[in-house]
Amino acid sequence: MASESISVIKLRDLLLVTVPPDPGDETISALQEQVLRAMARHEAKGLVLDISTVQTLDSFFARTVAETVQMVALMGGRTVLAGMRANVAVTATQLGLTVGNALTALDVDRALDLLNAKPSGELRV
Amino acid sequence: MKKQTTATSKSPATVLGSEDSFRLLVESVKDYAIIMLDPTGHVATWNAGAERFKGYRAGEIIGKHFSCFYPPEAIQRGLPDQELKTAAKDGRFEDEGWRVRKDGKQFWANVIISALRDKDGTLRGYSKVTRDLTERKQAEERIKQQSKEIMELSTPVMQVWQGVVVAPLIGSLDSNRTQQFMERLLGRIVETNSPVALVDIMGVPTIDTQTAQHLIETISAVRLLGAQVVLTGVRPAIAQTLVHLGIDLSNIMTRASLSAGLLVAFDILKLQVVSKDSTH
Repeated sequence: MASESISVIKLRDLLLVTVPPDPGDETISALQEQVLRAMARHEAKGLVLDISTVQTLDSFFARTVAETVQMVALMGGRTVLAGMRANVAVTATQLGLTVGNALTALDVDRALDLLNAKPSGELRV
Repeated sequence: MKKQTTATSKSPATVLGSEDSFRLLVESVKDYAIIMLDPTGHVATWNAGAERFKGYRAGEIIGKHFSCFYPPEAIQRGLPDQELKTAAKDGRFEDEGWRVRKDGKQFWANVIISALRDKDGTLRGYSKVTRDLTERKQAEERIKQQSKEIMELSTPVMQVWQGVVVAPLIGSLDSNRTQQFMERLLGRIVETNSPVALVDIMGVPTIDTQTAQHLIETISAVRLLGAQVVLTGVRPAIAQTLVHLGIDLSNIMTRASLSAGLLVAFDILKLQVVSKDSTH
């Protein structure tokens, strides 16, 4: 059931995942598996994790996200966390939770801009 | 009451005299209501302080149950009886709360009820000492209200451009204020969908390690949202303090003035300020 609630959507050369509102540990682990499999299948250059519906962020979630960011980076992609809620960010900071090297964006639109902007800039140079 | 004293005491005249003067002392104290209750909670003695706080004269209150000093909701909860029970069990009961005067007005009272037992341990009644702390209570309420207002006044977050919010910090940051400031700043960033927040510390008198820590915390929370913070208004004195304290802000964008910060914000948003003349 855990893995059914997640869908990894391929958007051109990016992957988009919407994290469910109250993800349990199993869901989060399943999410990592699916993301990595999709990375391998599509050779995506970036991943957007839409967490705008997520109400609580626990240490397991934070750690798994940080790990996933590293794994995706090893497979050649960049990860953007999009749409974290204000109260979630406050709590996470107070608990000292970090999400590693993940980029962040206010919403999915900006996350897509962020992922699309840099490579084209690099090409121009 | 006089009858009771003489009837129960079989002491010599000298002691009676001291008892009399003791009674006189208690009766004339005006700053404390010192009264006696019988074991069932009916008023047995009354003094000047009690008359002043509660408005009853001795004649109209002696013999009445002391629950008439309590507001209806306290009586409903059975508070008067509970207090007597606790006093009987533990020897003493102390409480602060609203009590009612004869004219219906309420006053904030500190109440101490002690059980009075004779040598055999039989309960003879209770002493009840009450102080009127209404003024202190009101002062406390006022301070609470004012600090709440100051808190609200001191952390405005304004949108100055599409995508840019400014938060001028005034005064020092303690953990209470940080929490409030963080919530407000993050709330506004999400509300206005602003990728850049300028936090201006021109109005912060001095920065200590704690304030700096709180600032860093706020900035990392903003980053989690996907926005960036530019710390502006870094005065020379603050720059010196930060370096001397060994606080590393090298991964935070900082500028000396708000206007310089605004330019950074424009840069992040890929905006440019162009003079009208240059179009000619």
